Amino acid sequence: MTFDWSVVWQHRDALAAGTVTTILLTVATMAIAVPCGIVVAILRLYAWRPIAALATAYVELFRNLPLILVVYWAFYVLPIMTGLGLSPLVTGLAALALNVTAYNAETFRAGINSIRRGQLDAAMALGMSRTQALRRVVLPQALRRILPVLASTWVSLFKDTSLVSVIAVTELAYVAMQIRAQTFRVLEMLTALAAIYWLLGYPQAKLVDWMQRRFVVTE
Amino acid sequence: MDFDFTVITSHARFLGSGIVTTLVLSVASGITSLAAGFVIALLRLYGARWLRPVVVLYIDSMRAIPVLVVLVWTFFALPILTGLTMPPFFAALLGLTVHLAAYVAEIVRAGVESVRPGQMRAAVALGMSRAQAVRRIVMPQALVRMLPAFGSLLSITIKDTAIASVIAVTELMRQSETLAGQSFQPIEVFSFAMLVYLVMLFPVTRGVDLFYRRVAHLGRS
Repeated sequence: MTFDWSVVWQHRDALAAGTVTTILLTVATMAIAVPCGIVVAILRLYAWRPIAALATAYVELFRNLPLILVVYWAFYVLPIMTGLGLSPLVTGLAALALNVTAYNAETFRAGINSIRRGQLDAAMALGMSRTQALRRVVLPQALRRILPVLASTWVSLFKDTSLVSVIAVTELAYVAMQIRAQTFRVLEMLTALAAIYWLLGYPQAKLVDWMQRRFVVTE
Repeated sequence: MDFDFTVITSHARFLGSGIVTTLVLSVASGITSLAAGFVIALLRLYGARWLRPVVVLYIDSMRAIPVLVVLVWTFFALPILTGLTMPPFFAALLGLTVHLAAYVAEIVRAGVESVRPGQMRAAVALGMSRAQAVRRIVMPQALVRMLPAFGSLLSITIKDTAIASVIAVTELMRQSETLAGQSFQPIEVFSFAMLVYLVMLFPVTRGVDLFYRRVAHLGRS
């Protein structure tokens, strides 16, 4: 068995471009999924019943579907439904955003619910209005609790972006597997792929651990 | 738009075999990763001191590498390294186990650490050996507390088996993709696949929740 690791270095530009796409995809998905998640959570908690039920149905649906199926579905069905010729990147982004929004909505809802009702009552007894109490007492504590969960969703999302490679989005996994197919250096390229993900993901996982220790809330 | 769901009924056996493979792979990798995860967690908690950094490195690495990459590496790269070729199903089982066992280990560790250390000390003070104390005092309480996390991990397992389609395991995702491509009816086929996954996943998450509510009191101390 001879291994030729120079193939990794030769394709550094393509791998770097793929890595950038992976990171951009993660950032863009989160940028969409955080505000949308807040909206869905608020709809679920405070909206008119049928709307709240709809929001709940959306969250439960996407939390119970494999992401790869959503990616395929978006790839085949979105163009038929919308009549638009969407690029793989936009399709992948849509699938990821639909998925992560559902998870974020659940996170925000749980965060708001986790603050004991007594706190809201106490704040109002002290003369605050309901919105004041929510803004000053409930939300600051809820956000502290949510932050580590959002961070770990971020890490999951970073890894899950690899799934959009199945619809030919030129992110890290797709690029590495293309080079593998062209050069037949299977072991070298796949190991490099794992190594790049490890180098990027490991510090993120450690950061999540630190945040979980740092942002502990005790009422 | 016209929908023609006869494509589902006329390929019932093809899709059915995919559903069976998904279920078998889910159950099999659930069992193996549970067993492996327990061993890893016990090594981390009670094993030799030099083992701990190794175990932590393994767990954190699995949290950093996508399961797709683990599966593809196991199926394509591992045979080159070892000279052994594996059928896709076993590569998927191995890859999923290596990945999920790390998560199981984290759940087990969190569960064990949630039992106050005073209980362990009290048990030892009463004359139990450490192993006895773990088996009789710590584990029974910790196991109940781990249940909700295991429930969500089981649903993650079922969802992750869909990624095995990438290495040609003929489970539901793969069969749906093939059928969608051949029949040119992706909407019907993928909608059916979605329905099947929902039917598989809902009882799991709801069932574990209900079961936990019935036994939760056993984990309190």
